[in-house]
Amino acid sequence: MDDLIRRAMQVFLNGLISGLAIALMALAFQLVYLPTRVFFVGIAGLYTVAPYAYLAIHTSCGNVILSSIGSLLIVSLLAVLFEWINHGPLFQKGASDGAHLISSLGMYIVVVEGVAIIWGNSSQTLRTGVDFTVQALGVVLTKSQLLIASVAVVALAAFVGMLQMTNLGLRLRALSANPTQFALYGYNVKRYRLFAFGLAGLLTAATSLVAAFDVDFNPHLGLPAMLLAVVAVISGGRSSFVGPVLGGLLIGVLRAEVVWYVSSRWQDAVTFAVLALFVVFRPQGLLGGRSGLELRAI
Amino acid sequence: MSYVAHVLIYFEIYFVVALSLNLVVGYCGMLTLAHASYYAVGGYTYALLSAVLGWTFVPALVAAVLVGSVLSLALSLPSWRLKGDFFVLGSLAVQAVLFGVFSNWSDGRAALGSWRNLTNGPNGISNIPKPELFGRTLTEPVQFIWLASAVAVLVALIVWRLTSSPWARVLVAMRDDELAARSVGKNTRLAKVQVLAISIALVAIAGATYAAYVGYIDPSAASLDESILMLSMVLVGGAGNFRGPAVGAFTLVLIPELLRFLRLPNAQVGSLRLAIYGLLLVIIVHFRPQGLCGRYRLK
Repeated sequence: MDDLIRRAMQVFLNGLISGLAIALMALAFQLVYLPTRVFFVGIAGLYTVAPYAYLAIHTSCGNVILSSIGSLLIVSLLAVLFEWINHGPLFQKGASDGAHLISSLGMYIVVVEGVAIIWGNSSQTLRTGVDFTVQALGVVLTKSQLLIASVAVVALAAFVGMLQMTNLGLRLRALSANPTQFALYGYNVKRYRLFAFGLAGLLTAATSLVAAFDVDFNPHLGLPAMLLAVVAVISGGRSSFVGPVLGGLLIGVLRAEVVWYVSSRWQDAVTFAVLALFVVFRPQGLLGGRSGLELRAI
Repeated sequence: MSYVAHVLIYFEIYFVVALSLNLVVGYCGMLTLAHASYYAVGGYTYALLSAVLGWTFVPALVAAVLVGSVLSLALSLPSWRLKGDFFVLGSLAVQAVLFGVFSNWSDGRAALGSWRNLTNGPNGISNIPKPELFGRTLTEPVQFIWLASAVAVLVALIVWRLTSSPWARVLVAMRDDELAARSVGKNTRLAKVQVLAISIALVAIAGATYAAYVGYIDPSAASLDESILMLSMVLVGGAGNFRGPAVGAFTLVLIPELLRFLRLPNAQVGSLRLAIYGLLLVIIVHFRPQGLCGRYRLK
């Protein structure tokens, strides 16, 4: 019986830690979606670039911290560039959601295939040597899992602190709630949009880097990561910054349970079946209000 | 000659795909990412019926159409409630579930086509018999081109007849203002079920033709990349009319053939091809929202 409980705990903790990574990515997605209403597929391209940027810097300087900071900055700047050359001009033209989505898809393809042309399609790794493990109460955690958990918790806490305690956070929430009124109060919407994209890039790069320290990476891992983030956003609720975090944790735990009780092969199918159920039966998500979404669904 | 026939066959298959997707994207304004998975439904149905049960081309093609039409309900029923991004997400979920089914419904110990091993998983289904028409087996591209052309012409006629009918005007009205269309008594829910069933039936024909031509199908035919390629064809060529999908299919089939002249390694050519598709999507959205020669202007 003890063994059974310990196994259940292990599966739950594994799920919770991968859920933290999903939550961080979902928060990055939501950071763009909520203030700008852009369905930011390009975030998958940013996810792809991060470990390659790290690798390129690390090859020349050999320093882990410098390479990590460099990678975070490069990805953040790339996110700002996405807004500056693509979504910003479309926003000025009053383009539809569909136009943003398609152009974002195009940008994603260009970035990912650019990475594939430069670095190739084969898998690479940032990990060096074998992970040490920590054992407590019969549950085993690897160094990579601890890294993911600590980075995600620190980043989530810093983000919530920024959102709730600073003027910048207040303005970001105001932009998310009503962009038109925000502009009428005299705030520079363009600047805050750029900030939202840059911050989303930072969180995406952090998620991608910790994942790359855990498992191998290749240019095509960005889209699955983004899709998981989208499922987390939909299931948690699209109208707040808390919903995606809750959704990410739930999806992480669910996926771990599917691996344990069914098979890893069915992870994605079950995840997207959950997405389908939410989209059809509860499009506002777990924490979302009904009004905003029902207006969009006839 | 064989090479030209091969390129033409691919063009004709993708022409059918683009025509079918245009009904949904161009006439209804619904962006779907599930089209490739239904293309694979057609391919797999044909492959199983011909390779396992020994059915000939036409009955297997009809069965692929029927299976595709029935499975289209997975997309059309949610479309009653979902619009915009939500519909895209719903289609993404359908794509992922179908891709999961193609990749995982397998068991190495069971015979192909049995309940436990329906799709043969990531290995796909090989040795699909070449179609036989009027007592002749179409083994060479120059022979198969007649069949592919007949399929393309038949589908083009069906689409032309449909798009010049009052039914297409209901679709356009629904695309431009669904509430207004409903307020004048048009049953938009029925129209959505019909258009998705027809569109998916047509793409199932393309999938079955592809499986018959190549003799092999695997889950990559149902991948998201393939759906993006199909969507690119319609958006680059232009949606909402007949010429657009033809130009889109021609352009996107021609690009990889032109890239062959660069003499780059195959992997790089593949990436370059996709990068060009991506760049075309961005350019089209910014500078020519109606595509190269389309009618429906993406707002």
